[in-house]
Amino acid sequence: MSVYWSLASLYVRSFYNLPGKKTAGNNPAGKSILKVAGFGALMVFSVAYFGYLFVGLNLNLYEGLALAGMQDILFLNAAVMATAMTLVVGFMTALSTYYLNDMELQLLAMPIRPRAMFGAKFTAVYVSEAAFSLFFMIATMVVFGIKEGPGPVFYLWGAIAGLLLPLPPLAASYLVQIPLLSSARFLRNKKTIMLVGGFLGIAFALAVNVYFQRMMPPVADPAARASAVAGPGSAVSLFGGAYPPAFLAWRAMSEPTAPGASFAMLRLIAWCALGPALVIFFLSGAYARSLVGFNEAHLRKLSATGADAFIVRRIRAGAPYLTMVKREFGMMNREPMYLLNGPFIVVLLPLIAGVMAVAREDSILSDPDLAGVRALIDGGLGAALAGLVGAFLGSGTSIACTALSRDAKALPFIKSLPVRPAAYMLAKLGHALVFGVAGSAIGVGLLALVLRLDPASALSGLAAALALSSLLNLAGLWLDTANPRLSWDNPIAAMKQNPNSVIAMLGSMGLLVGSGYLAFRFEMGTGAVAFWFGAAPFAAFCALLSAYPRYAERRLAAMEA
Amino acid sequence: MIELKGVSKTYARSAVKAVDGLSLSIGDGEIFGFLGPNGAGKTTTIKMITGVLRPDSGNVSVDGIDVAADPIEAKRRIGYVTDNPELFARLKAAEYLNFVGDVYGVDTRTRQARVSEYASLFGIKDALGGSIGSFSHGMKQKLLVTASLLPDPQNWVLDEPMVGLDPKASFDLKEIMRARAAAGRTVFFSTHVMEVAERLCDRLAIVNKGRIVFMGTLAELKRGQGADGSLESLFLELVDGEAANEASPKAVV
Ligand SMILES: Nc1ncnc2c1ncn2[C@@H]1O[C@H](COP(=O)(O)OP(=O)(O)OP(=O)(O)O)[C@@H](O)[C@H]1O
Ligand SMILES: [Mg+2]
Repeated sequence: MSVYWSLASLYVRSFYNLPGKKTAGNNPAGKSILKVAGFGALMVFSVAYFGYLFVGLNLNLYEGLALAGMQDILFLNAAVMATAMTLVVGFMTALSTYYLNDMELQLLAMPIRPRAMFGAKFTAVYVSEAAFSLFFMIATMVVFGIKEGPGPVFYLWGAIAGLLLPLPPLAASYLVQIPLLSSARFLRNKKTIMLVGGFLGIAFALAVNVYFQRMMPPVADPAARASAVAGPGSAVSLFGGAYPPAFLAWRAMSEPTAPGASFAMLRLIAWCALGPALVIFFLSGAYARSLVGFNEAHLRKLSATGADAFIVRRIRAGAPYLTMVKREFGMMNREPMYLLNGPFIVVLLPLIAGVMAVAREDSILSDPDLAGVRALIDGGLGAALAGLVGAFLGSGTSIACTALSRDAKALPFIKSLPVRPAAYMLAKLGHALVFGVAGSAIGVGLLALVLRLDPASALSGLAAALALSSLLNLAGLWLDTANPRLSWDNPIAAMKQNPNSVIAMLGSMGLLVGSGYLAFRFEMGTGAVAFWFGAAPFAAFCALLSAYPRYAERRLAAMEA
Repeated sequence: MIELKGVSKTYARSAVKAVDGLSLSIGDGEIFGFLGPNGAGKTTTIKMITGVLRPDSGNVSVDGIDVAADPIEAKRRIGYVTDNPELFARLKAAEYLNFVGDVYGVDTRTRQARVSEYASLFGIKDALGGSIGSFSHGMKQKLLVTASLLPDPQNWVLDEPMVGLDPKASFDLKEIMRARAAAGRTVFFSTHVMEVAERLCDRLAIVNKGRIVFMGTLAELKRGQGADGSLESLFLELVDGEAANEASPKAVV
């Protein structure tokens, strides 16, 4: 058992990149307090944001269902949603952590029972799923609690159900994955499964978006909408009625103090424990065996004459700056984690926006010829919108604001090379700006099409997008130069869990939304947009750029990498 | 030529000096071995020579060029083999070689000739098109060595170069070191294997806890002492003697 616990805590730490035990006198106290405070603020912000979304969603549902006196279906809906969400997210997490890294091969060589190892991994994945499901149940309980004032037992059942519901979906995920990865050798490749997981994630994000778009706006007949989505005849309810855990959770929560409620909870516990127990009991061995082969890579060998020809063809001199930029591309695009969360955003966001626009038919943008709207758009608002959207897309790739963090491992070698640190960092900026230009062009182009902008507005928008995105990218790079995340053992930590990328994202959103508001408030014309959002940020970019190299040199020299 | 004068370094996150007032001078045509137990400060010293770390105090110069004052010019004269070959797993071998070649400004023709020469010597020519991530540890090490020789540097600095090499590759590497020294180049390498140093070095230094405990030729070292006359016991005595000196005051209290 103690082997299991220490493995589980090892997995949890490396999944969520928690630091190990701190050694005394590690950090200057002031800085670490700042870091904790900043990170805490970010956490509070995102929890509050998603809480707001989920509570809003449940509120809409409640109000619709209450009109027909069916408000307790809310729990069935919540249980099914928690199950569905943890099925998708759990499947993705299980897949992307199926083979964590070579550390696991070392674990295999130790006298550890496969059941302890797989059980520990199951637990580590479960932790995030439980948090997710609990979050969903709490959002439901908050709405129902305020509206109906049920007793404390209700909350107890809800919390227990929230913790239990992710178990069967997670067991089901492994039930699919273990046989699949055991039999299909070609899938046993970190890259492949990260890509599959990434695409699943994108599809899921799209679906959630569509769902929220449909549920949130006020409609003429909320009761009809609510009953279509969650009423007794809906797919959700039909599934919930047939799926015992959801059904049992609903039973217990809708009559929390009835004698049947505790019995329903007991049955729920039995149901939810069954799946994990079976999977861990029967599939642990297969799981451990399927880990072997994950670190294999295919090495293409050249023939003797082929090698000579290869050298003549491929070993060639190039300009140092371009070589460094090329290296940035290679290092980023070949790591699926980086690709999906970075450059791919330029394609992904327009896709999401497109789906959202289709889902939300009543949008202003869908009919730019509406009286009054056309005049506003042509008066400069169209240019401003195009510019801001383009700038968002051009700076949303997180390339610049994680540039140094991603390269932490190579830093000592890079610093030994005869290149100025500034040139090396400017290569990173070049990499980000290439995507800045692409994002700006795509964003402005799409908006020009949708809003049918005239050429002057489109050009003015493009100028704004290029200038703003360049400025934001440089600011992001500056941020990562000032405070890079240099010690990590999982690329997720350098990119997704990097506070810099969150700060940069929030900062750029703030700046862009603020700019949009100003454009609207002061009724800026096309020329004013080009000046204030194009020329002015460009001047700021140039000013920053002229100061940046010296700063970068100083920072890199001081770094103990 | 590599010169260190009173170089010290304490890492920001640590209280002890990793390198403590270290002075060295390695001339052209010399093979210099840098020995010491784990954590003695070898890698830290090498990182200061190659300009990766800035010394807290003291001064490093390469071919008479101050590394702090003119880092680019100094680094141009160094070929560096790091102790960690796991750096660029995502790049292909050829891409990595081109990267190093471009950064050092090696022209196409010279580059092709050197890649061809060293890659065939080390037997990794057939793998040049492959991704570094698919290389074995020794193959990665060989690739790093090949890359470090592309600019034909005046000073060759290697951190634990023998680790992971098979006997043939290790022999070849030593031959290259000898050939370079014979041609008037400077070779500086770290190791904790006494035998390697014994067969190769003109001079050597033994460091412990960031300080030099011995510096001189092999003959001078042997004249010193050694219970059974073996170099290994000499090494252990030097390193342990230091530890015993540190421990004794505590023992009195
Ligand atoms: N990045 C770092 N941060 C803090 N301390 C470090 C760092 N790198 C090394 N040290 C400390 O500096 C001292 C010297 O380490 P160094 O790596 O130079 O030793 P070494 O002689 O190369 O050892 P080895 O033979 O194991 O490679 C050690 O006490 C080590 O703990
Ligand atoms: Mg070392």
